[in-house]
Amino acid sequence: MKSRVLNTSIMASVTAVVVVLWVMLASVPKTSAIPAFSRKYQTSCTTCHNNYPELNDFGEAFKKNGFKFPKDDEVFVKEPPVLLGSKAQKEAFPGAVYPGEIPGYLPIAFRYEGNFTLNRKQPAGVIAQNGFTPRTDLFAPNTFTIISAGSFGPNFSFWIDDDISAGGTGAGGGLGDGWIKYNDLGRVFHLPKNSLNVRFGQFEPDLPFSQARTYYLSGYDVFNEAAFAQGPACGGGVTVCQTTHNAFILGSPQRGIEFGGTPNNGNFNWSVAVLDGTGSNYGLGGALTARSTKDVYLRASYKFNLERDPESRNGVQAAGPTGPRDHTSIRVGAFYYHGNNEQNYGNSLFPFVNVISEPFYRVGGDIRFKYRKLELYGVALTGHDDNHLVDTVAQTITKTNAVTFTGGFLGSNFWIYPWLIATMRYDFVNSPSDFINRSPASQYNTRNRVSPGYQILVRANIKVVGEYQYTYGRPYTDPANPLNTLYFRPNTFVTGIDYVF
Amino acid sequence: MSLSRIAGKAAVAASVTLALVGASWANEIKGKVSVQGIKSPENIAVYVDAIADKKFEAPKDHIVVDQRKMSFIPHVVAVQQGATVEFLNSDSVGHNVYWPSISGNKKLSHNLGTWPKGEKKPFQFNDLGTASLLCNVHPEMSGYVVVVPTPYFALTDKDGNFEIKNIPAGKYTLKTWSDDGKPTTQAVDVSAATTAVELTVKK
Repeated sequence: MKSRVLNTSIMASVTAVVVVLWVMLASVPKTSAIPAFSRKYQTSCTTCHNNYPELNDFGEAFKKNGFKFPKDDEVFVKEPPVLLGSKAQKEAFPGAVYPGEIPGYLPIAFRYEGNFTLNRKQPAGVIAQNGFTPRTDLFAPNTFTIISAGSFGPNFSFWIDDDISAGGTGAGGGLGDGWIKYNDLGRVFHLPKNSLNVRFGQFEPDLPFSQARTYYLSGYDVFNEAAFAQGPACGGGVTVCQTTHNAFILGSPQRGIEFGGTPNNGNFNWSVAVLDGTGSNYGLGGALTARSTKDVYLRASYKFNLERDPESRNGVQAAGPTGPRDHTSIRVGAFYYHGNNEQNYGNSLFPFVNVISEPFYRVGGDIRFKYRKLELYGVALTGHDDNHLVDTVAQTITKTNAVTFTGGFLGSNFWIYPWLIATMRYDFVNSPSDFINRSPASQYNTRNRVSPGYQILVRANIKVVGEYQYTYGRPYTDPANPLNTLYFRPNTFVTGIDYVF
Repeated sequence: MSLSRIAGKAAVAASVTLALVGASWANEIKGKVSVQGIKSPENIAVYVDAIADKKFEAPKDHIVVDQRKMSFIPHVVAVQQGATVEFLNSDSVGHNVYWPSISGNKKLSHNLGTWPKGEKKPFQFNDLGTASLLCNVHPEMSGYVVVVPTPYFALTDKDGNFEIKNIPAGKYTLKTWSDDGKPTTQAVDVSAATTAVELTVKK
């Protein structure tokens, strides 16, 4: 089928966006972003971000140091903290509360994202089968997020972000991350600086590429992949069924405790987290929201710093001929998530068996290469869930083929100018179960998507972002011949504005 | 009249002449800059414009501009053409210094690169105009080097007062440079020991 992707209206939209951008860029470029840390240090977003929310090398060091400058933090703080007890009170401990501090500024920032979506025109057969999707959708989703972050003295740091609204007018949001971290606990054991930190609360696992703080308009498909067994669940005439129904996805924030560290000048990164598992409904019929078992997530990565000059190599940032920049580096890492899905509590699903225990894991590797204005990266991941076959008539349960999937993504970013970034990403997920279940329906086992895009920093705190998603073919019945299956790629162009303050 | 008396009178005359010359070099311009539509009259450069048929040697002393607490200190420096400015990094964070143009001439842009804490990087400013100092990592940082053609210049204090010392008697053109204001030009006749000037800089 001939697919005309960029039609006249798309081109008109792109032209309009370009014109608006040039008008915006032509005005006086003096504003800089001033969310919480910008206010505290009276510095621009670009101190820590090459393209917010992605951190540059300095931003990484700032984060790893508990939201403090890597050296001489007190020198740079323009808003001194409020002391909750004098430092001398340490000597009075335990006879007095140990002295702490809170930020002297209100550590709150806001972020708004609103997008314009242009969907590919649907053929009549797709509308008949799947329903009508409007070609355009203005500023959806609208997401307004409140972010609070900072440090409580030399060792504690905290982060809270909550989507006050997401997905449109009046729609509810929810807590993203909300944690407190004790930095450099290893100091107690005379370990190198930042070798051991501990974090409590709700947080995204230490993924190689943050889904929560990605600058892309779409999430990583493989981080959103859940595991469901082939075929329908038992009930309604179905007497033999498979049991795996694991709504867990890697990209969701979870409640837990995480131990981790960044020794060796921040080049080595490790973390071990005990997590509550996903909070989404899981289990057959989405009947469950909690289980007793706890999950474990492990991650280790190493950044090979490829700077030749020793001073550059050891600095927080490399010293380039035209100014500080990120190190030329390759980071390689691996991650492993292990959980134990449990269903049938209280024999609620199948009275003839006890709790069905289905261990699962996700294991993967990642790579990221940075060279000057270019960034290349990738993740490969495989998922495996133990699975059972239940026969409700014979009242038996037996272990059967596991539910598996593979997937990942490859991408590149190129800074044409410090304010203009071209992006490209390829996502792929191979899930035989999804293919059989037609959920989502796809032409092949492997669902894939290519997403070229752009990010334009109109100001340090205002971005115009765009992404074209060339996605996999989805089957539909030919209206002219019901025996004939056609395929439609519901490609989408999304562009919008993203600002923080 | 004996030769010795003639010689003596000549010596006296020479001394008087020298004294007068010396006195003429001790003149000064004192003044005040008022501003309209500008937040503060501080850090406005006031300088004597180029003097016909008069050339000045480049000063030997170097001026230091520091990068400290993510600021250029001082925020504005005025230097004579040919002067060398040393840029010091006193911060434990990486900085660089560059200017995208000198008074709008992008061919005179320059990037000094990066250097570690405690080290200086010199640059000789041979082109007249203003270099807007920037750091490409911390865009909030801002400073100015105002390169003027004569050694007769000053920067205003927070009240707009300035003083240009050791200026020979004569008629000159006084000019101003300000971050936010338009340049001002005013003729000035330096004949007395102290010449008072009132200038206004408008946005």
